[in-house]
Amino acid sequence: MFLRQYVPMAIAFVIGVAFAVQYYVPHPASEGLLTTVNDWLIVVSGFSMVLGLASLMGSHWAKVRRAVPGWGYSLVVFLGILGTLAVGIVSKGKMFAGEGLTLTALGWVYDNMLVPLQGTVFSLLAFFMASATFRTFRARNLEAGLLLTAAFLVMLGHVPLGEYIWDKLLGFLPSKADQVMGWIMNVPNMAAKRGILLGVGLGAIATSLKIIFGIERAYMGEGG
Amino acid sequence: MSPELLGAWVAAGLTLAIFSFLYRDNPFFKFGEHLYIGISVGYSLTLLIFNFMIPKWWTPLFREGRMSLLVPTVLGLLIWTRFFPRFSWLSRWAFAFIVGFGAGITIPRMISNFIFRQVESTAVPLVSRGPGGVSFGWEDLSNFLIAFGVLSVLTYFFFSVEHKGPIRPLARAGVLFLMVSFGASFGYTVMARVSLLFGRMYDLVEYSSRGYGYATLILLGIMVAVFSAQALSKRREGE
Amino acid sequence: MRKLADKVLSMDRRVIYLLMAAAALLPFVTGPLGLPSRVSPEVKAVYDRIESLPEGSPFLISMDFDPASKPELYPMAEALVRHAFRKNLRIIGMNLWVTGSGMAEKILSDVAEEYGKEYGKDYVYLGWAPGATNVILGLGQDIYKTYPKDYYGNETSGMSVLEGVRTLKDIPFMVDLAAGDPGIETWVVYGKAKSMAGGCTAVIAPGMYAFLNSGQLVGLIGGMRGAAEYELLLKEMGKATVGMDIQSTTHVLILGLILLSNFAFFSTRRRG
Repeated sequence: MFLRQYVPMAIAFVIGVAFAVQYYVPHPASEGLLTTVNDWLIVVSGFSMVLGLASLMGSHWAKVRRAVPGWGYSLVVFLGILGTLAVGIVSKGKMFAGEGLTLTALGWVYDNMLVPLQGTVFSLLAFFMASATFRTFRARNLEAGLLLTAAFLVMLGHVPLGEYIWDKLLGFLPSKADQVMGWIMNVPNMAAKRGILLGVGLGAIATSLKIIFGIERAYMGEGG
Repeated sequence: MSPELLGAWVAAGLTLAIFSFLYRDNPFFKFGEHLYIGISVGYSLTLLIFNFMIPKWWTPLFREGRMSLLVPTVLGLLIWTRFFPRFSWLSRWAFAFIVGFGAGITIPRMISNFIFRQVESTAVPLVSRGPGGVSFGWEDLSNFLIAFGVLSVLTYFFFSVEHKGPIRPLARAGVLFLMVSFGASFGYTVMARVSLLFGRMYDLVEYSSRGYGYATLILLGIMVAVFSAQALSKRREGE
Repeated sequence: MRKLADKVLSMDRRVIYLLMAAAALLPFVTGPLGLPSRVSPEVKAVYDRIESLPEGSPFLISMDFDPASKPELYPMAEALVRHAFRKNLRIIGMNLWVTGSGMAEKILSDVAEEYGKEYGKDYVYLGWAPGATNVILGLGQDIYKTYPKDYYGNETSGMSVLEGVRTLKDIPFMVDLAAGDPGIETWVVYGKAKSMAGGCTAVIAPGMYAFLNSGQLVGLIGGMRGAAEYELLLKEMGKATVGMDIQSTTHVLILGLILLSNFAFFSTRRRG
């Protein structure tokens, strides 16, 4: 209990208080301490990244071992990992070979496999969004009407064709489409986003205080 | 086949495999999706080894003898005790160090670089003072709307007070500001998603040219043929 | 009429997918639409800031994105690097998103070759390092401790491109190109940048206006539109400018879909 519970809480408390106070002590020794400990933590981040990647591999390995339905796809994950790691080692982790701009094997995998795959996975959202817009974007009440109007004006002001349509249909108005969009972004949108950001910022401070005082212990994992 | 030509075929094939999800979930998509996870993990591991583990940890510690690196090494190894359930509680010490440091550095910086700066630029004069005396123009109206908007949105999110009496209309105004901002965000999101679509379409169009052996067109043809054959055989089974 | 409206409302989603694909392909068939874009003040501010820097000033560009936002941020990064090389600034490149490393390396190498710039003297690529917050904090303390070696394994201390630079405070201007977290917010809270601008995906751009308004960002380049505006300022048309045509056709399609669905919805409701 002492080693498993109190020692980590004490570490979080001492380190947390020390580095909160450090900010207000601009002495070279205090700055030196921040530099050193911060550099250590960059190294530690590398170790924790291994943990994250390994646990992902572990879950897929379990699927392969137990031969659950669709285990073949988990094997594809492994092929991807090992294949990329192999070409990565051959290419020494670099995109280009030598002085010129000739791609290494890793550069080839990156350019022709990783970039198109990740790009396409996320571009699917363009289709889903168009469909969702059609299904759900309705001016049922004041709130929905405001949301729709803001979206409509921003989209018009955002693209050249929208600006062109605005100029043709509403050219008599003193403001252009991009100016209307600029105002929406800089005034009502900004105000709401600032409100949200302030809430999030205060939340982060509250969480940090909870960690220091041992109220928030999610970092301990199970049984914390 | 040159690496460039092969690359075009592979890239076009993988792009179409992922896009095939729009028709329905299918093995082409599943293959592409899992390959994506694998390659991105493999790539991350490669960079971790070559841009971090070797130059910033192994070489300085074991070749150059920078003993101070033993501290993060011990912390890192403590994290790795998570791999062994019996000792995994030891990882808490390392995590306590990491989150304690994170909490400590966050509090003062969040207050001075974030909260103060944001509040400061909200609390600006709401009228202009010029040579002709005090005036209230468009700029001032915007500043007023910003101050009112921030206040009302914060009120809406402040659940410790019940939203009734004078608080109610203020919280309601907060909702209206939020709606405008969600609408604006939506408009921007459309642009973001379409940008990605453009990126993929641009490549697909390029790869459908003669120079790339009509890669996109041929692969698309094959995929359509497979789906049609499947649909046909299913229909026959139904009969 | 009502039947028609019902039919419209219950349209198969794949019809919409097809319409989207058609709208996205249209500009490839018709060729450039040639519609002009106007430059917004927030993008112009970034351009002016770089213009105002004296020759030889160090300029930091952190490319914190991955292939998922390549079409938005890659042209933006290219345009900024191009601008900095034209102004003969000393470029310090880095990135905080591991899977973006290849793109960051490519952008710097490609544009450097185009302008005949020399590695180590005119530009350096520090590369990626884990622990984004710590990296940003570390750069504010001592760049050589955070990045003792560059991406290619060279010693950073003594590199002529880094002459006179010890911490972020020695760099008069930096731009962070971000696709999310870690990104602009992280730099604002933990960085000690003297002067900073942001470039970001359109998804996160609306939130960044708060930092623009507070003066913590001197300018903001939002999404592909922002990148196209920057290309326009540089008078160098790149992929973002080309992409704006697809933006036009798909945006107008989506606007049309919104109008159609509302029209159909209200026409069924009024009579029902």
